[in-house]
Amino acid sequence: MNYLKEETLNALAAEYVVGTLRGKARLRYQKLMMQYQAVSDATAQWEQYLAGFNDTVEPVEPPKAVWEEIQRRLGHSASNDTSAQIVDFERAKRDRWRGLSMLSTAAALVLAVLLVVMQPAPVEDVSHIAVVNNADNTPLWVIEVSPSSMDVKVTDAFTAIADKDYELWMVPANGEAPISLGLMPEMGGDSRATPDILLDSSIAALAISLEAPGGSKTGAPTEVLYIAPILSV
Amino acid sequence: MEHETLFPLLCKTAEGNKDAFAKLYEITSSQLYAVALKLLKRPELADEATQDAYIKIWHNAGSYQRTKGTVLTWMVSIVRYRALDLMRYHNVRNEVELTDEAAAIPDAPQAFQLGGEQQKLAACLDELDGPQRQAIHLAYVNGLSHQEVVNYLSSPLGTIKSWIRRGLQSLQRCLSL
Repeated sequence: MNYLKEETLNALAAEYVVGTLRGKARLRYQKLMMQYQAVSDATAQWEQYLAGFNDTVEPVEPPKAVWEEIQRRLGHSASNDTSAQIVDFERAKRDRWRGLSMLSTAAALVLAVLLVVMQPAPVEDVSHIAVVNNADNTPLWVIEVSPSSMDVKVTDAFTAIADKDYELWMVPANGEAPISLGLMPEMGGDSRATPDILLDSSIAALAISLEAPGGSKTGAPTEVLYIAPILSV
Repeated sequence: MEHETLFPLLCKTAEGNKDAFAKLYEITSSQLYAVALKLLKRPELADEATQDAYIKIWHNAGSYQRTKGTVLTWMVSIVRYRALDLMRYHNVRNEVELTDEAAAIPDAPQAFQLGGEQQKLAACLDELDGPQRQAIHLAYVNGLSHQEVVNYLSSPLGTIKSWIRRGLQSLQRCLSL
């Protein structure tokens, strides 16, 4: 693939990190980063090369409100007048999630079991899988989790929407707010390190939301499209 | 600071430890905020970029890979990309607001004041031609687009692009030695 010629890739990575890769070229590059390890490696390499520039910027203390807003958005703060509302809102969201995930579990379980039976034996160290189906029960993504990596494959049934991204979420079984696991690939597939949190926590389900490019800005899913149970294999 | 402090704090943040996250914020936020402010100029946008970055850091702490760079570089990259997104979204224009400060910077900082990483970059920047160094600095630190660098340095677009491209190539050769 043209993009992956080492020289081209290196020049693109440099301009991406410097910030001069703009507009559609920048969005295309971000997609490539999700698809190809070599692209994300080249990016990280340039981030290190240019990191020395960051220290030339004189530190500036952010306003106090910045930290307060971060805590509010993460649901961490609990000591002001609005906290009661936030807690209620969080609880309502949780209950909705619990309902959603329970509803979808039965139907999706049958399908996922069928799919497991139909597929060749999984790679040895894969410990969990999830299949994300659309409303017609056609699989769009297959997710395989091993202790070290999480592989996502896009099926032919998936069609990307321009100017939208799909974000993957983990729905904790204890009813806490969903946690983002990053954007979903939209062609081919990708492999990422398994987040520790996925192995440590008890998971009710995975969910996919529709988001503006770059993913949710609020830390919570914008529009949940699909829910998939995560199953041990 | 990096190995003794930031990495353990990030590990605890990945486990959901809010105190570790608060400490991480306390130590790093003035650096991240300064980078965002430099790129975006407008304080309310720098606030937003910083908030978005720390939300992402909280959620993605577990996906940091040590082999790919230091914790601080990883964190600063997150706020930089968020600031670049916001810059595009809000159509932030950079051409007028930089004055003497940006013009003064291109002389590489005195090496003896700097940490290892920065020292090496300073030495390598020193080997570049003045205009190449200035163009890269304006783009990376001040967030200028190619066209904005053109306006700032009053040279044609093709020349600016080639200064940046060749400057980066020379930097890479020097830094990877």
